[in-house]
Amino acid sequence: MSNRPLRALTVALTGVALLSAAACGAGDPTKNAGAAAGTAGGTARIRVGISVYDTSSFITAGKAGIDAYAKANNIEVLFNSANLDVNTQASQVDQFINAGVDAIIVVPVQADSLAPQVASAKAKNIPFLAVNASLNSKDLAGSVLPDDVKAGEQEMQMMADKLGGKGNIVVLQGPLGQSGELDRTKGIQNILAKYPNMKILAKDTANWKRDEAVNKTKNWLSSFGNQVNGIVGENDDMGLGALQATREAGVKIPIVGVDGIEDGLKAVTSGDFIGTNLQNGTVELAAGLAVAAKIARKQDVNKNPVYLMPMVTSENVALYTKHIVTAKDAFLAQLPALIEANLKTGKIADEGTS
Amino acid sequence: MTTQQMTPVPDTGTSAPESEPAGRFTATWVRDQAIRRAMVIVMVLIIAYFSYRSARFGTLDNIQSIAVAAAPFALIALGQTLVILTGGIDLSVGSVIALSAMAAAATVKDHPERLILSVVVAIVVGLVAGAVNGFLVSRVNVPPFIATLGMLTTASGLAYVVGGGAPINGLPAEFGEIANNKVFGLQIPVLVMIVGVILLAVVMRRTSYGMRIYAVGGNPVAAQIAGVKTKRILFSVYAISGMLAGLSGVMLASRVISGPPNLGQGYELDSIAAVVIGGASLLGGRGSIWGTALGLLLIQTLNNGLDILIVPAYWQSVIKGVLIVAAVAVDVWSARRRT
Repeated sequence: MSNRPLRALTVALTGVALLSAAACGAGDPTKNAGAAAGTAGGTARIRVGISVYDTSSFITAGKAGIDAYAKANNIEVLFNSANLDVNTQASQVDQFINAGVDAIIVVPVQADSLAPQVASAKAKNIPFLAVNASLNSKDLAGSVLPDDVKAGEQEMQMMADKLGGKGNIVVLQGPLGQSGELDRTKGIQNILAKYPNMKILAKDTANWKRDEAVNKTKNWLSSFGNQVNGIVGENDDMGLGALQATREAGVKIPIVGVDGIEDGLKAVTSGDFIGTNLQNGTVELAAGLAVAAKIARKQDVNKNPVYLMPMVTSENVALYTKHIVTAKDAFLAQLPALIEANLKTGKIADEGTS
Repeated sequence: MTTQQMTPVPDTGTSAPESEPAGRFTATWVRDQAIRRAMVIVMVLIIAYFSYRSARFGTLDNIQSIAVAAAPFALIALGQTLVILTGGIDLSVGSVIALSAMAAAATVKDHPERLILSVVVAIVVGLVAGAVNGFLVSRVNVPPFIATLGMLTTASGLAYVVGGGAPINGLPAEFGEIANNKVFGLQIPVLVMIVGVILLAVVMRRTSYGMRIYAVGGNPVAAQIAGVKTKRILFSVYAISGMLAGLSGVMLASRVISGPPNLGQGYELDSIAAVVIGGASLLGGRGSIWGTALGLLLIQTLNNGLDILIVPAYWQSVIKGVLIVAAVAVDVWSARRRT
């Protein structure tokens, strides 16, 4: 073995470094031009850097909403996924700052991260927003966050109503310690406190996953037999895993979820779920982009609107199925107008009536 | 756990004195058996404890639950056993599960009539991934750890590519039939697991192919001199491991009727744990299919029993970790006592 591979590697790395430096440098002139034009007219083209934690189905739906809103509002989007790595996300944001974008949106990998990036964006007057998940910082220009406590309350309320305020439930939690899990669990407990005749037999994590939830629920059904009156999933995937477990065990138990993914809506339609709570990535992330763009353009806007998940039941599931599954493109076409209207009313999760 | 010899010789040959009928049921015999069957005894104790704590643990329904949960792990653990017997390791099985599950889901999306095709696609995808591993290890001489680590990342990335970065949802209900229909009163994955274990156990004990795998792992140089086509054997075990991961992937996806690109994440570690608990040496040449089956059963019984006793997930991790190391420590200790 000689050191030739090592040398080749060094050359390659140097090349990559030079290229990325060049790419960053190239960003600057455009920015200045854009900023100059931006002061002249309110709707001049702006650039927004977006770094998301990973490419989940939520993010994929969100990207469609972002693209639709960006196209209608003269926004250039730089989109990156951090693959669940805090450091990757930090470097992506650094690149946005170096490129001199007009606003930065982050769907954070972790709440306690990116402090230096937020500070340096602030120093350069680049508005920095957290969307979908919170970021612990006082220097954010704005945020568009879902109310997960409320989501937990809503799903538990649906279950309590279904069971007439009494009975035993099991709860499938998200990854323990994640903000979504903590808040939804808190919401569930807020409602349970009002119903002394309702009891949690077991609660544990299935890490948002269907295949983990199916085994966990099945083991619980083994353990408690017919004492389980209801299953509360903190997301739809785990609720769907629980549904499979009830099928294998040959029992029918009311199940409720959160998210409103395609299969979750299907389960509501068929009556397998009593309901779910819609977190439509298309609407939520487009609203995030809209708020960021308005802040960058110095327009009047509520800088911290809250996304209150609509409750999905058998009565309204058809509308949401249209928006998310069957008539996605038609919904995307009306999305920019919908977002504008929602920002005025403050109900940013509203999806209209058609 | 009994220690499998380099060549499959019946267990009774390991220590001569006890095979004399006169020596049966003496204190020495009992002690000797206790040492030799340490893992079986650990297993029996765990089962006894769970049965004592919950009347529901020993029910037929619950035993079926354990079997259904175990099946997808069993398939990859079987493949992993062959690979580890040759002294290699397959880190890619979890990702190959994800990739083949996504391929199967994509095949059957909107086409309920392509049920069998989806199974074939999953198996072929797994086989191809495994063959690439096998080629890299046997022909290019890439260390197994690196070759399969590369496949772990690549297959995981490809799984997202297949789904366009998202899970495949909205699959036809018929897709669930693959994992949820019953044959002879058993869910199909359970049946596949039983057939797989018996088939491979016979192959490893009774065929020359099995013996060659042990030989390659025990002493590759000696095996080569003795005329074993080492490269072919190496290639084949990775291919088999990949194929079984493909089968496992379609079973998992079918059970929950969806294609999540993060399916099977971390399963490779569970499969390696099962093999090692089963008494195999990571250096190769030592281990057995029955050992792996027992190791797998131990892990799955713990998963089930701890859930039934409502032990929180974080404590489950602690207990499982400690028990896995303890089980192997007992096995190593008893192996030393035997010699």
